[in-house]
Amino acid sequence: MMTRILTLLAALLLLALPPMATAQDGPLRIEITEGVIEPLPFAVPDFVAGDAASAEMSRNIARVIAADLVGTGLFREISQDAFISRVTSFSSPVQFADWKAINAQALITGAVDVDSTGKVVVRFRVWDVFAGKELENGLQLVGTTDGWRRIAHKVADQVYSRITGEGGYFDSRVVFVAETGPKGQRAKRLAIMDYDGANVKYLTDSANIVLAPRFSPTGDRILYTSYETGFPRVYLLDVASVSRRELENQVGTMSFAPRFSPDGRTVVYSLITGGNTDIYRMDIGSGASARLTSAPSIETAPSYSPDGSQIVFESDRSGSNHLYVMPAGGGEARRISSGKGQYGTPVWSPRGDYIAFTKQSKGRFHIGVMRTDGSEERLLTASFLDEGPTWAPNGRVIMFTRETQGAQGQARLYSVDITGRNLRQVSTATGASDPSWSPLQ
Amino acid sequence: MENTFIERGRTMKLMQKALILGAVLALAACTNPDRFDDTNNVDLNNGAGMAGSASDPTSPAYFQQTVGDRVLFPVNQHTLTAQAQQTLNGQANWLLTNTDYDALIEGHADERGTREYNVALGARRANSVHEYLISQGVPANRLRVVSYGKERPVEICSDEGCYAQNRRAVTVISIGPGV
Amino acid sequence: MNTGQIISGAGHTILIGWALIGNLFAATPKPFEVTQVTAVSTEEFNAIMAAQRPPQAASDVAVPDAPEVSPDSPDLSSQTDPATEQAQPETTENTPPDAAPDVAELTPLPEAEVEDTSPELQQPSEDVAALLPETSERPKQRPVERVAPEQVDPPEPDTAIDDVVREEVVPDEAAEVPQEETEATAPEAAATEIVTEAEQMAAAAVTRSLRPKTRPKAPKPAEEPAQPSAIEAALQAAQDNVTDTEPASRPTPSGPPLTGGEKDALRVAVQQCWNVGSLSTEALNTTVVVAVDMSEDSRPVPGSIRMIGSSGGSDTAARQAFETARRAIIRCGARGFSLPVEKYAHWQTIEMTFNPEKMRIK
Repeated sequence: MMTRILTLLAALLLLALPPMATAQDGPLRIEITEGVIEPLPFAVPDFVAGDAASAEMSRNIARVIAADLVGTGLFREISQDAFISRVTSFSSPVQFADWKAINAQALITGAVDVDSTGKVVVRFRVWDVFAGKELENGLQLVGTTDGWRRIAHKVADQVYSRITGEGGYFDSRVVFVAETGPKGQRAKRLAIMDYDGANVKYLTDSANIVLAPRFSPTGDRILYTSYETGFPRVYLLDVASVSRRELENQVGTMSFAPRFSPDGRTVVYSLITGGNTDIYRMDIGSGASARLTSAPSIETAPSYSPDGSQIVFESDRSGSNHLYVMPAGGGEARRISSGKGQYGTPVWSPRGDYIAFTKQSKGRFHIGVMRTDGSEERLLTASFLDEGPTWAPNGRVIMFTRETQGAQGQARLYSVDITGRNLRQVSTATGASDPSWSPLQ
Repeated sequence: MENTFIERGRTMKLMQKALILGAVLALAACTNPDRFDDTNNVDLNNGAGMAGSASDPTSPAYFQQTVGDRVLFPVNQHTLTAQAQQTLNGQANWLLTNTDYDALIEGHADERGTREYNVALGARRANSVHEYLISQGVPANRLRVVSYGKERPVEICSDEGCYAQNRRAVTVISIGPGV
Repeated sequence: MNTGQIISGAGHTILIGWALIGNLFAATPKPFEVTQVTAVSTEEFNAIMAAQRPPQAASDVAVPDAPEVSPDSPDLSSQTDPATEQAQPETTENTPPDAAPDVAELTPLPEAEVEDTSPELQQPSEDVAALLPETSERPKQRPVERVAPEQVDPPEPDTAIDDVVREEVVPDEAAEVPQEETEATAPEAAATEIVTEAEQMAAAAVTRSLRPKTRPKAPKPAEEPAQPSAIEAALQAAQDNVTDTEPASRPTPSGPPLTGGEKDALRVAVQQCWNVGSLSTEALNTTVVVAVDMSEDSRPVPGSIRMIGSSGGSDTAARQAFETARRAIIRCGARGFSLPVEKYAHWQTIEMTFNPEKMRIK
């Protein structure tokens, strides 16, 4: 009986409480902590052509923009067959209902004209369909007719960064080694292309082995290793003139694995002397060099942090290959990789937050990323042979070399998102290896 | 019956010789006549006139086949095995005898590693041979080293049998004051 | 011949004979299925699973097709809506290739009367079941993992039909026939789109498409506990740590506060449209608080959506996060959140905190 009375009392008390709580009639509060991850559907109708001559370019520009966005894995294109309304004029109002009906959450409209000087003028707008308004302001880009792809990439960069908040990376180039021939006798030549594989140009012939080219921070010069003297040596090549010079030519030594400092004035590289490999740096202007590591172990594959204050490199001083970080002037190096396996080819992200690397473990190769202190190691790929990652200018995408096994094995370039998703091959006409991504142009 | 046996025996001997000859020729071809940088050695190493000079102890062919122009290494190692040292002893002797020749020691690695590290590893291997030859009295000014990393495998299959052949240091001899 | 030879000969004969003809008696090898498997590394798989687990993605694809929404109705563009509705089935045919067969069944819908929609509305649930029989059980697993108040997740296939009926009833009262039809088409397109895009792991996500149908059910569980003793309801509410549910039978305009179940239903509804896939890594570290005013038909007023607070990121990242949140509210709110109209005063203004912590790369 007592318990029943108590229960009743408790219930009455509880009943009494709520009215007091609801007396303060504040807004309803809820917390959303989980969502979905799916490609954002967008539509890009052909850009409106100012005249018949620009019609094909208008269509091509829209196609390049669509390909850029879809290639990120974050966007899904709504086919033009599904469009309800057509965009016939750049300035006419958008019928949002029509685009909502086909589930386009983002809409890109544009117009292409050729002005009196023969330059191409491209205007575009990005629309948030469900909010019913424009995403930031429209822009106008002017360029040459030959450079229409770059204009398209720049538009795509704008769309991408407005919607995702990330910096873009489409108006960029990749320097790599184009490979032909059988595995035992590969013919290698330096080549440069748009990041999406278009506009390939060769920078060397295939007479000599060339390895691991790297872009300067402004994209105007390339460092690479060449065997044209019979020994691996570091060369500096000017992209515009394709002229080159040897940087390091001490007799009896070999040099390789060069990289620019963020200010473009210093080269950090590996030098082999007496069978031992250490890291050196050289001032490009004066040619003065300095030794940064002195250990009997192999120290190689150095890479600067984006602020130029530190260098991450690969060393086998512990008995197996690991990643180490030292001050840019040399000095005590601390190890940052901690897992089982061999770590190599570290590359500091342009955002400074991650280091990408190659890891060998249990007979397989992986591309991975880790925080600059070595924490949060994450492997993004796995295959017979993946190596040599390079970062997109926005620090969100990585390109690398993947070689298949066997006598018929071939090397190809692949890209992957930093989350490990959207692994896809970069289309190249021949085999390809050792990619290096330029900054945004 | 016995006649046929004798005939067979003679044919066998002939075939054996032919086989050996063929094997020798084949082996000669295996030493990579397409060597990219050392045109001197290309001429010396190709098949022409091989059969004759193989038995000539002063010939490069002899150096390659009888003395042995290469040593192999275990995975990730650059230390010389006992067998390697034996081969290198022969190389040193040959070089000391045939003073016209200089040598370029090439270091190589198998494909199971990243590009830069393999260049460094190949250099270590070449250097091991280099130091050993010097320790056997070969003058240093007749020796040079280069590393090809994993760029020039001799065997291109992707298993240990091929990899073992690629983990090598090859002593390439040439006439004259070095490459 | 001695015994040894006899035995040997016999043994050899047996052995050879078995080798020769023994295979005749071997069981026929079981036919093995060759299934398409994408070889994925452990790391890639983990990354995919981590990415896929939160996305109960599929259903949110459904919802966007529906909204011809309240913003349009006051506008002149609403006059074009009937035209677009008729065009709509064709468009949904083209966009998701797999949608074609199902959408074909829907083409009569825009012309159908309200009464006819009920049997056809049942079709989506059946079709979904037919398409993904194995996954019909999954929704039960997911809710157990993620959603605490079980009232929101009764066995969905059973309730589908109930909910459909319920959906019908309400619009009937409002006499919004055209709107009803568009709502009917939405779930259909959703299911098929999910199938198109689904990877093997994401197949489970398809079941999410059934979720919207449970929303109308939310008021029900609120009422049911009220019918048993008030004491139990009070105690349970106290346990739920929510402003209490009193028996909802009193139809006052500013009725009792929302039950935990109702709030959860709202949360789940918004979640399905909250697509963080295109958020920058910085925006994924940014929490935003968004306020929205609601109209009585439980649709958000798009112009009222405003950011009232943010933390953890720059202004740009906050703006990104806000826009993604706004899209979520508009898209999933287009059909209405099915909030109980008798409690309107309590949800006239809603503040939603969008915290992407769980959605970041782990």
